[in-house]
Amino acid sequence: MKYMLIIYGNQELWNSIDPAEQQRMFAAFDAFNKKHYASGELLGAYGVADAAATKLVRVRDGQPAVTDGPYLETKEYLASWYLLDVDSEQRALEIAAELPSAVFQPTEVWPILHEAARDTGADMGVI
Amino acid sequence: MSSARSGQADGLAIQDLLRELAPQVLGALLRRHDGLDSCEDAVQEALLDAATQWPRSGTPANPRGWLLTVATRRLVDMLRSEAARRRREDAVYVATPTAPGAEGSIADAGAADRDDTLLLLFLCCHPALTPSSAVALTLRAVGGLTTAEIASAFGVSEATMAQRVSRAKQQIRDAGARFTPPGPAERDRRLGAVQQVLYLVFNEGYTASAGQELLRTDLTAEGIRLGRLLHTLLPDDAESAGLLALMLLTDARRAARTDTGGALIPLTEQDRGRWDQRLITEGTALVERTLATTKALGPYQIQAAIAAVHDEAASVADTDWAQVLALYQLLDTVAPGPMVSLGRAVAVAMVHGPQAGLAATGELAGALGRHHRYHAVRGHLHEMAGDRASAAEEYRTAARFATNIPEKRYLERKLTGLG
Repeated sequence: MKYMLIIYGNQELWNSIDPAEQQRMFAAFDAFNKKHYASGELLGAYGVADAAATKLVRVRDGQPAVTDGPYLETKEYLASWYLLDVDSEQRALEIAAELPSAVFQPTEVWPILHEAARDTGADMGVI
Repeated sequence: MSSARSGQADGLAIQDLLRELAPQVLGALLRRHDGLDSCEDAVQEALLDAATQWPRSGTPANPRGWLLTVATRRLVDMLRSEAARRRREDAVYVATPTAPGAEGSIADAGAADRDDTLLLLFLCCHPALTPSSAVALTLRAVGGLTTAEIASAFGVSEATMAQRVSRAKQQIRDAGARFTPPGPAERDRRLGAVQQVLYLVFNEGYTASAGQELLRTDLTAEGIRLGRLLHTLLPDDAESAGLLALMLLTDARRAARTDTGGALIPLTEQDRGRWDQRLITEGTALVERTLATTKALGPYQIQAAIAAVHDEAASVADTDWAQVLALYQLLDTVAPGPMVSLGRAVAVAMVHGPQAGLAATGELAGALGRHHRYHAVRGHLHEMAGDRASAAEEYRTAARFATNIPEKRYLERKLTGLG
């Protein structure tokens, strides 16, 4: 079963962390990635660059128009995400709790829509 | 005479033969040398050699002996280079036969091979492994599939699957698991773990949607092939027979289970003419034979019996629902769980009416309130009772909790149909 772990954040929150602590966090994230890539449970780990580098694409009358932005009104935006392939929801929750950021920022755990399910093999009754 | 076609047929025949011999060769190798990880790698390399050489040079007179000889050579090479790398000459020691006299048993493939294959299944489905690790390792070591084939079947990258396989081997090493028979007290538990892994393999394939890639390995067929293997190894084990029967009777309905767009078609709406009668005949005979002689009635046998009742009925109305209900009640005592209770509630509705069925689902809200199937069943029962508003509400909730795309589409279609 595939799950997406999503962490929201912002530059302000990150800047408020003491630099030595930031270095420890980097090391902890590296260790987290290494451990779960090694088990085959982590399929990908990504984080966005600074919001200043973001562009917006719109299509108007068939023509793409590219502008800077978005100028976020929300204080927090999608900062990083992890794609997992695990045996159960329980396991996804365990891994989410291991994220070094979990101590100061909650992690969202989203099941991913999929073509195949492991838990619904036998047809049951009429359904 | 098309030589291209016969060449292709030869290639497929060789592939089948190799996959049948893979666990026997690995078993024979493990009997004489320690270390599942290096032995398994050596066998994979020997299989690869055979797959490239045999189509050109012809299948050797003793294919099993050929594979074992090549695998042994590969293993010794591996251990030597490992030893050189580590500057530890004594590692070669590991590659020397541990059982004197084992040499003579290589040629005859009989009872010893069957025991080896069973031991290999016990090892690959060791309780120290997570289910996905055990599945990956079993498909490689017993099923003889390559890592690339397994990865493609599970929709993950080859690198990820390679990690999973090597992680599984690591877990076996860490657990100190050996290629030896489990004790009598341990045996039942280990056999249960093997059955669960084979059922997972089957289910993974069975629930896949239509329109899959051509390269996708057919895990359903692989689950059945391994299920047959287990039943052949243990013909008197009733649950192994029940597991095989359940797979056959479930797979019989596969073609009718999804429409051309991949949307799910429930049992009630399936075109029963598309059910595979050959599989139904085989599965039904197997479950009848097993239930007549079983000394330990278990969940696979009962689920197979339920599947057989459905498969033998010409229509939903013709189904012997009283029999289904009795079997669910039995299942509920042998292997209780909320999903079993939900199945029983459906049978209750078909025998005693939708209101009785709804009442039977009442106590399950706590355990299954966030599961789409619970709401789908309740939606269906409300629809049976003519309460369209409540049915729509339940289908809507069910669609929200479903993460499987064909099921989600089916539920959304039901919702539209009520509208």
